[in-house]
Amino acid sequence: MTDNTEIPNIPQAESVPEKRTTISVVWIIPILAAAVGIGIAVQQYLSEGPSIRIAFRSAEGVEAGKTSIKYKEIEIGKVTGVTLSKDYSRILVTAKMGKNTEGLLVNDASFWIVKPRVTLSGVSGISTLLSGNYIRFEPGTSKETGRDFVGLEVPPPATSGLPGREFVLRSDTLGSLGVGSPVYYRRLNVGQVISYALAKDGRSVDIRIFLNAPFDRFVTSNTQFWEASGIDLSVGAGGVSMRTESLLSLLVGGIAFETPASPAGNSAVADNAVFPLSRDQATALSPREADAERFALYFRGSLRGLSVGAPVDFLGLPIGEVTGVFLAYARGEESIRTRVEIVTYPFRLFEPRGKRDAIGGRRAPIRERRESIQRQVVGKGLRAQLRSASLISGQLYVAFDYFPDAPEAKIAWERKPPDFPVVPGEMASIPSMLRNLLAKLDKVPVEEIGNDARKAIATLDRALVRLEGETLPEARKTFAMLDRTLEHVDGEIVPEAKKALEELRRAIASTERVLADTDNTFLRPEAPGQQDLRDAMREIARAARAVRALADYLERNPSALIRGKTREKP
Amino acid sequence: MTRPLLTGARAGVVPCAACGLLSRKHGPEEEPGNCPRCGEALAFRLHDPIQRTWALIIAASICYLPANLLPVMTTKTLQSVVPTTIIGGVVRLYADGSWVLALIVLVASVMIPLGKLLALAYLLITVQLRSVRRRRERARLYRILKAIGRWSMLDVFVATFSVALVRFRPFMSVSPGSGVLFFTAVVILTIFAADTFDPRLIWDSGGTPRGEK
Repeated sequence: MTDNTEIPNIPQAESVPEKRTTISVVWIIPILAAAVGIGIAVQQYLSEGPSIRIAFRSAEGVEAGKTSIKYKEIEIGKVTGVTLSKDYSRILVTAKMGKNTEGLLVNDASFWIVKPRVTLSGVSGISTLLSGNYIRFEPGTSKETGRDFVGLEVPPPATSGLPGREFVLRSDTLGSLGVGSPVYYRRLNVGQVISYALAKDGRSVDIRIFLNAPFDRFVTSNTQFWEASGIDLSVGAGGVSMRTESLLSLLVGGIAFETPASPAGNSAVADNAVFPLSRDQATALSPREADAERFALYFRGSLRGLSVGAPVDFLGLPIGEVTGVFLAYARGEESIRTRVEIVTYPFRLFEPRGKRDAIGGRRAPIRERRESIQRQVVGKGLRAQLRSASLISGQLYVAFDYFPDAPEAKIAWERKPPDFPVVPGEMASIPSMLRNLLAKLDKVPVEEIGNDARKAIATLDRALVRLEGETLPEARKTFAMLDRTLEHVDGEIVPEAKKALEELRRAIASTERVLADTDNTFLRPEAPGQQDLRDAMREIARAARAVRALADYLERNPSALIRGKTREKP
Repeated sequence: MTRPLLTGARAGVVPCAACGLLSRKHGPEEEPGNCPRCGEALAFRLHDPIQRTWALIIAASICYLPANLLPVMTTKTLQSVVPTTIIGGVVRLYADGSWVLALIVLVASVMIPLGKLLALAYLLITVQLRSVRRRRERARLYRILKAIGRWSMLDVFVATFSVALVRFRPFMSVSPGSGVLFFTAVVILTIFAADTFDPRLIWDSGGTPRGEK
């Protein structure tokens, strides 16, 4: 740099300023914003629960963004969308669940829409009148988590979290039961029906019940359930019977159970154990199938008045019932006869204790033993018979009784069920009246009466013979002598002779009467004729004695006829 | 090539932003020095405008997402708790039939902030590329930006008023959502960004010695 004015073409050197830090502090602002934004995003993400879908048949009152999902009255989620399913048959409700709900969202969790409900067994969901419908959630018991659910159309009963157990009852029909129907134990309301479903094969209905603790422990392997629905009115051979468990069950149906004492012992049962549901109490408490003996009976004649369910009596005690009434073709005889199938529980009537060794214990004895016992009793004349339970209703029942005179028969064991020998049924009550009459007639001592009569006749016969053979000739002789000596007879003999003659006449008259009445006298048990006869005989005997005395006297003192009776007595 | 026009920067003359005194730059350095009359620091251009504006725009953009995703208002009634986002509010207004209101909210709360961010980004990019095209339009765009920026606060006002006025507990109440904070941040940041941007940069590309290639 020597001269800086004379050289115009030389450019002036620039001083390049030091570049200061190029990153401005202003960048803190976006970094801060980003930090806050990310923070919020992370928080949002973390606080966000799973998203689920629930399919409902109808989503009444469910609105996206408004309707909440509640569990124990606390909001745990919110409906975010309500859409139709692809086939337009269902409503798909999408919901965002709250944080920490993963554990609750198991496969069998249930959802249902809460709305005001008025049912016979209660009023629920009143709060929704103000707050609008919401979706109730109830966790399930499964361990697997799920995200797609099918909503319930009707709320399950509020049993979740309550101590108790569930059981399944299998029934032919639902009867008058419904969700919420009470379950009774000794007429205490101890639980309720929580759901029901048709079995997969469509042959039965599975009814799920919940029993509150501690009543669930009364359910054991031996427990019998029956329907206590409404009024149980039955007209059977036993008459008309009506029973109901409670007024509520009258309206909404119900189930009752009882655990009969069992020799097999009452072992505990697992949850969800399946029990049969009987039609009524009598059926439920009838003995187990294991003790059942099934027989077929072939009758001739009308079965009118015999219905399925009619009782089977053994010596007047109920031991079973009729399970079927059919017609059957008798092959050997080319005819149609009636076939009655019965089930009996013969061993339930034996006293449980004490007779154990004799009959095989409280449990039915083993099959061979049973058969041998039955063979013996049939050999002694045990037969089945149709009897009339009541003249008015004309109901018939099957009775087992001993008929020692019945023709020999055997149980046809080879058949299934075995044939039990029968005797013809007796008609109504007329035969029994006749039987009574015959029994009374049997008591009449006909033989004795006959013997007495025969004895009386023999006596009479003898008397007559004597009268004829001995007395009469003598009398005639006497009369002749009398006749001859009549004029000599004076006052002393006349009264005696007159008396003797009078008696003789009376005796003869009596004899005639007796002879005339003999026929009647024989037939009557308390026959006065006998007495008369005896009296008559006595009279005759007395007359004969008098005559003999007279004859003897006359023999010893023939002069008496002329002179009259001399005084002998001092 | 046209002859470059004379600007203050090129002539080395700078007006004082505080008192308006025109003074020559102090030395050969970029920084012109301080005003000889009032002592204010003089500058040919605003300090570090491009970087600052970018920073603010990016910050605003970040805030823009939660501002729209998070609820700005939560309406509690007896039967429900309804959080409302900005777009949700627009949709609801429209669905309720007040499409004019819906349009106003849509323009003021969604379109204007978004438009501002996009416009500022466009201005910055064109400045950095030293584009010489459509400079008058860009200058006008900047003037519009500055003018409408504050109106975006409409939503914030609505939310604030609602919260203050609708207090009928327990039947109904309105509480602010976190979205409103972010929305406010967006509006404020875009206002600042518009302020930190120096429109003179638009013209710097034309005829400045540094701009010559």
